Formats: sequence, C-alpha cells, structure tokens
Amino acid sequence: MEAKHDVLIVGAGCAGMRAAIEAHDAGADVAIISKIHPVRSHSGAAEGGINAALGNASDDDPEKHAYDTVKGSDYLGDQDAIQVLCDEAPGDVYELENWGAVFSRTEDGRIAQRPFGAAGEPRTAYAADITGHVLIQVLYEQLVKRDILVYEEYFAWRLVVDDDRCQGVISWDLVNGGLHAIGAKTVILATGGAGRLYAGTTNAYACTGDGMTMALQAGVALKDMEMMQFHPTTLSPSGVLITEGCRGEGAYLLNADGERFLKRYAPNAMELASRDVISRAEQTEIDEGRGVDGSVLLDLRHLGAERILERLHGTRELSMTFALVDPIHDPIPVRPGSHYHMGGVDTDVWGLTSLGGLYAAGEVACVSVHGANRLGGNALMETITYGKRSGRHAAEWALSNTTVTVPPSAVSDAERDLRTLLDRTDGERPWRIRDELATTMHENFGVFRRESQMQQQGEVVAGLRERYERVLVEDKGNVFNTDLTQALELGFLLDLADCMVVCGLARKESRGAHARPYDYPDRDDENFLRHTLVTWNGEGPVLDWRPVTMTKWQPQVRSY
Amino acid sequence: MEARDDDEMATAGAQLLMAAGNGSSGPTMDVALKIWRFDSETGERELKQYEVEAPEWSCLLDVLDIVKDRVDGTLSYRKSCRMMICGSCGMRMDGAAVLACKERMKPIVDAGHVPVISAMGNLPILKDLVVDMGPFWAKFKAMKPWLQPGFDEPADGKEYRVSQERMNVIHKEALCINCGCCVSECNSMESDPEFLGPQALAKGMRFVGDARDGATVERLEEYNSEHGIWDCTRCYFCNERCPKGVDPRDAIAKLGAESIKHGIDRDMGAKHAKWFVKSAETTGWLRETELVPKTQGIVSSIKEMKFAMGLARKGKVPPPFPPHVADRVEESRKLRELTKTQGRDGALGIVQGERGLARIEHTDRGGARRDVPETDPTEPPVLRDLS
Repeated sequence: MEAKHDVLIVGAGCAGMRAAIEAHDAGADVAIISKIHPVRSHSGAAEGGINAALGNASDDDPEKHAYDTVKGSDYLGDQDAIQVLCDEAPGDVYELENWGAVFSRTEDGRIAQRPFGAAGEPRTAYAADITGHVLIQVLYEQLVKRDILVYEEYFAWRLVVDDDRCQGVISWDLVNGGLHAIGAKTVILATGGAGRLYAGTTNAYACTGDGMTMALQAGVALKDMEMMQFHPTTLSPSGVLITEGCRGEGAYLLNADGERFLKRYAPNAMELASRDVISRAEQTEIDEGRGVDGSVLLDLRHLGAERILERLHGTRELSMTFALVDPIHDPIPVRPGSHYHMGGVDTDVWGLTSLGGLYAAGEVACVSVHGANRLGGNALMETITYGKRSGRHAAEWALSNTTVTVPPSAVSDAERDLRTLLDRTDGERPWRIRDELATTMHENFGVFRRESQMQQQGEVVAGLRERYERVLVEDKGNVFNTDLTQALELGFLLDLADCMVVCGLARKESRGAHARPYDYPDRDDENFLRHTLVTWNGEGPVLDWRPVTMTKWQPQVRSY
Repeated sequence: MEARDDDEMATAGAQLLMAAGNGSSGPTMDVALKIWRFDSETGERELKQYEVEAPEWSCLLDVLDIVKDRVDGTLSYRKSCRMMICGSCGMRMDGAAVLACKERMKPIVDAGHVPVISAMGNLPILKDLVVDMGPFWAKFKAMKPWLQPGFDEPADGKEYRVSQERMNVIHKEALCINCGCCVSECNSMESDPEFLGPQALAKGMRFVGDARDGATVERLEEYNSEHGIWDCTRCYFCNERCPKGVDPRDAIAKLGAESIKHGIDRDMGAKHAKWFVKSAETTGWLRETELVPKTQGIVSSIKEMKFAMGLARKGKVPPPFPPHVADRVEESRKLRELTKTQGRDGALGIVQGERGLARIEHTDRGGARRDVPETDPTEPPVLRDLS
C-alpha cells in the first residue's frame, strides 16, 4: 500500500467533487482518483439545468417536486430517497450559487428557472444551456481552494475488500504506468454511467460503467439495471445531446409531415411530456415511416434568433458543427439515444452500499431516486445532494475508525491478471467486440424490447465475453497507454450488459424506460412494483427482487 | 402507446447506428493524415502517414479513433465527450491548435489536403498527441480561482441578487473549457514560459468581473506583477484559436482596464495605455515623443535619446513643439467624456463583438473553412522541458 486516506473518491464529476468537498470540510483526509482530469468529467456535458423548488419562477415547493419525480419514475423510485432529494435541493443549489456558479438570472436578479419535461412548475435552475459545465467549474474551483489531492489520470480497476470492508482501490497510473494500491477507510464510487453500452449515445467515451462493475465484482448488488433512459433529442448522426431546455423554451417536435405528432401521444404536456413517453413516440413515428432519414425534427425557429442566441447558444454551436444546421433557420434532426442509467449500485439514502466502507453517488448509484424514468434536471441535483450526503457519512465513519489493510494478494492478483493481458501477442482487437456490443444492445435492448430479442442479446453478450478472453492490447508501453485502459473498460461494459439482459427478461411488464409493447404492454403493479437486484456469482448475474419504498404516493395511471 | 406489431426489429436498427459503427453505414471517404508520433520512453520521433476509410461526417477525433482501433493501437491522445465541452482533445492540425472533436474532415479531404497532426505547443509532450498539462494547471491555480465573497453574504440565506446584465460581463470567460488551445498558440509564453498566459488570465477576469467577488483589488495587484497581464503581446492568436469563443485577449484587455480604473497603474504597460488616453483626449493625436518618458520614466528615456534623435533626423517622429492638435479634437474629448458619464471605464469599456459562441468555421453547407498554415508543419514539434 503506497498511500492511505480517510475517504477515497473514485471519479471527479459533480458527485465525486461534491463528496470530496463535504468530506474535507468534515475534517477527513480526502483524495480523489480519476481517469480523466476533473473538469473533463461528463457532468460538464449536462446542459439544461438542475431541479430545485426555489420558487423563483412560480409558487413551487419540495412536495410538488417530489410528486413529479415519483410519477415520472413510473412509481419505481423509492419515495423516502425522493423526499430527501427534493427537501435538500434548494439549500444545495443556493450553496452552489454562493460558491460562484454562474446561473442565469430572473428580472429581479434571482436564479432563473425554466419549465422541463414532466415537471408541474418551472423548476429547472439553469446557466443558459451549459449548466453542467458551470457546475463542474465551480466545484473544481472549490476543490482547488481546499487543495484536495487528486490522483489525476489514474485508472481505477478494482476495489480492495478485506475483513468484509472496502479498504481501497487498485489503479493503473495512466501517465507513468504501473499498478498502485491506494488504501482508504472508505471509498465513494462516483464514476458515472455506462452509456457506451449503446451505439447511439449522448455519453462521453469515458462513460463505461467502471464503478458499477467494480462494485459488482466486489459482491455488491446492482439495482434496476434494465432501466436505461433514451433521451428524445440526440443529434443525428453524432448522437450528442440537444438539451431538453430547447423544449423548455418552447421548441416543437415535428415528423416528416411537419406535424406536432405528440398530440397523438401526450396531448396535454406535448413536447414537455416525460422522456420515456417522447422517445417511444419518436421511435414509433420513425418506425412507421414518418421520420426524416431515421430522425424527427426539433424546430426552434419560432423562438427567434435573440432567444436562441441568449439561452441556447451551445445547442446552436453543436447543431452547426455536427449537423451543419443553424437552428435559427432550420429544424434540427434528432432521435432517441441512450443517455442515462437509472439503475446502478444499490445504496441507502446516505449512499452506503451493502459492503461496509463502500459508498456510491451520482449516476453510478441507484438510491433509487429516478426509478424507471428520470426527469430532466434531476440528475445534476442528485449528484450534488447525494454526493454531499455520502461525503458526510463516509467522513464521519472514517473519523471514528482507524485501520486500513490492503492484503498483498490483492495487488499481486491484479498484477498477474494485468500481465496476462499485456503479454498476449495474438488475439482480437477490442474495437470489433465493442462495436458489436453497442450495435446489438441498441437493436435488441433499446427503446422497445421483445422477449426474443432480449434472449438473443443474452447469447450475443455471452459470445462477446468469450471473445474478450482473447482480447489483444497492442500497446505494451507504460506512458499514456490508452489501448490498455480501453480494453479494461470494455471488460466493465460486458459484465453490465449481462446484468441488464437478465433484469430485462425478468421484468415482464412495461414501466418507464422498459417498454415491452408486444407481450407486456401494461404496467403490472401487482407483480413488478419492485426493484430488480443482481449480484455476481463468479460466472454471471444472479437475480433477486426488493420492494419499492412507498411513503405517501400510491401508484396511479400515468399520463401526460 | 403502441409500436407497429409487425416490426421485425424493435428499433430502427441500422438507421440508429451510424454514430458508433465507424463507417458501418452511410457514405464514407478516404482520409489521409500525418501524425507526429513521440515516445518519451525511447525519445523517438517520427512523422507517420495513415490512410483510413471514415464516414463522411467524421471529425478529426473520429479519424484518430479509426487509426487507433484498426491500424496502430499504440497511438495516444486524450478524448472524452466528443462534443466540445470537456476540453480533452486539444492538439495541433497543420501547426495551429484545434479541438479534434470539432474539426470536420470532409472539406479537408475534398481539397485533397493531407493535414499534419501534432501535440499542442508550449507544453511538454508526454506521448504522441498527449501533453503534460501540469504547467497549465499550475498557472490556473496561481490565479486563486475561486470566489472570494468577503463578508457580503446574502442576508436571506439564499442566492446573491445579481442582474443578468451584470452576469453577462463574464459570459465569455465562463465558457472556458480549459482545453489549452490558447496556451498552445501564445507567442508571449513561447518567449517567457512563466507568463501567466491567456487561459489563466481569462479565469482571473471571470472573478474580477463577478459582482459577487470581493477581492478585485488584490487580484488585480497580483495579475499586474511580472509575467502578468502587461506581458501579453496582443498578437490575438488566443482569440483566433479558442474553440469556444472565450476571446482570452479581450479578457486580458478588460483586466488592464479594470486595473487602471482601480488605480493600479505602476506597470509600464498601464502607463503606456494611460498615455494613449491622455494624448487622444488633449490633442486628438498620439504624441509619440512623450510616449516614451510617460511610459518608461525620465531616466530610461534619456538613455533612449540618441535613438530618438536618429528617428527625428529621418523624419520618423513629428517634432514635439508646437503640439499638433487635431482639427476636430473636441470630438475626441467628447468621446472620452461619454465613457466617463456612461461608467464605461474599466471592463465595460472593452467593446466586444458577437456573443460568446464558438466560431463556426463552415461556409454555407460545404463544411469547414481552413486557412493555409503559416508555419511549416512538417518541422517536428518543439520539445520543451518546462519543469
């Protein structure tokens, strides 16, 4: 063991940095380990905003926020966790503002809030359409202010488990090469999502589910892994995110006939229905031949140049660069793409997992706040509120406990496995396996799901896992060997795909992001108002169930 | 909600898959590029040419991915978001800094051009296209880049009340993604590696211009010291190469204006700028003969006397007496008066063009426009030890 800390955080996006700040302020010795520099984290790509019932644009309160979130989750969200989020959100947003976050403003100088999908009030606080970028910057500023140690460009690979406790992380130093064991009394996973499982995704190359698989392999359960959100407006063809803020500002979705087709799917909320509803509507339009080159159109033209330039300049920049479309003059081609994993590492409302000393916060975790469908603007809020809570809890635990043990075998096992991979001189390059995984997940486990296709996907993944056993890393060097880390990332993704298929097949109903119109078109509260849980038995996933925590909202028919 | 029951596939399959297939569908093109490879373990450098097939919509980053996947797995570069927000993939194309994810390749291919890709400048190279960002972040941290509100906390425990108009002062600076493209091209940093540089100074302006920050004077004092704002040579390369429209040079100009507004003017650069104003206000012309003593002081000016006399003999400077007053000097004076009455001394006096927005370098629908490189990109990149 080369170093040890009270709290070691894996990942430096909004959740990781917020956790680090909180743990530091609680008096703990804190370090962050991240495979990319903190400001490169994918939280920075969040555009539209962060939900808190500040009441700056209407008469709002946390109770309304909680109800919208429960309904949006298709009643799969745990209501105690949702209540915590909505109650603490306003204070947490004020704190970000007081630290210097550059929020957009109302006429009277308060934080501006805009309408977002499936929200009863204009609740989404925003900084134009670069809210995530602004939050990443302010959190990094606070990290620098506190001089918190960051192991920059260290690739976390495995958790150290000893005495039924998580006691550190084994990682690869990307810049210089070499495996390092960093001991810690507590570890907080904040590694984000796994959108790279899919061919069309808004997610960064870094979003490969590292923390989910590390937890899974350390014996911790993953929850609701079948729940992958497809965002309705990802740009064709690149897949980058076009913010929901466009629709919040009043943009229309049109099919090839120029029709606002949502009137046939969500006649009241129209473009501001929830994401699962709109993604299915778009996919149906495209499948039934009313799309435009496999897309539908997002029309901003009637908003006018002034409003687009002031509030949606990032969207214009993306459209012009990647689709050669200026939204002031032409509609933007968009389609559903994988965006956010509602599922993740099973935690309680303090971010604590079933393994002592191990926490998870942000997209990697499943508290569960989002259930079967996340509302736009709730993800950034979750990273802050639950990052903060896990940081506080981990620090308190670490400060009342002393020992850290990293058994030598943990390091030597990792070194042996890594050597096997690097010494291999003949085999298959990772990209074909990676691309096949991503295209088949999109085909067989996408917006709409069929029993036969999910079964087929199980076989596909099994075959890919077999091929992965002979994967070839060409770069044998020590310095900035991304060939090695990309191969390890593919290993993370394959394990997760396995888990998702098992959960998807088991959930024989349609709920939120899990839509089975061909065999189980309806929600089935009697049998499936419960979470899927998967653990790993050494060979593959093992399924279990857990009831949803209900407090005051009983399931109702969900329409928008 | 219903999908068509007779669909063979649950989703539109191939139509959705263009993004990840690396050429699995849609029209493709043959791309050729040269990459400056560097292995810091052996010290070997080599300009290697690669030719791959790529989808027509590919950006430089997509092409690099294809090279790494299918041709040479040892190629190293940073990447993450591929949507111009994470700032990972700064590198040089034909000798000028770009974000690889933003550079569309089709117009380059159509022009028959074979671009040369190399690591960013002004930073030590670790491997291939990866630079050591250590010196970059050290300067960022030297700016004390966090809000220092002093004792002025919001009374109701909520947010600070700041108008949108007041927030807009730092609109451009807040867009910075720390990619390093400006630093790569900074001419001043090339001659003085300790120069704080465009990125760090733009970050400084982000706080100086923030109504909530209470450390303006302390910050300006620090940014006015050696290697600070007045060492900028105003070449505007940072504005030119910034992929996000931050315009760091404008930020430095704003810091200069704010410094003078706050009476922090001991640096020659500040005195130089002040004399321009004074001169224009009084005679409507720049009085060059007085510029040197006003900027450098009397002692220094006496040393320059011989040189000045030489210039005068050759008719290169107008005689100082009698002062040459412009015909309509009152216009110049009124303009100066206007900036005062409108409160436009300081940062607000720096006129900026378009709103913060990345320059979109494409002409109609034809794709990106590229300028002919001024430097010879086939020269190997300069290796520097800045540690």
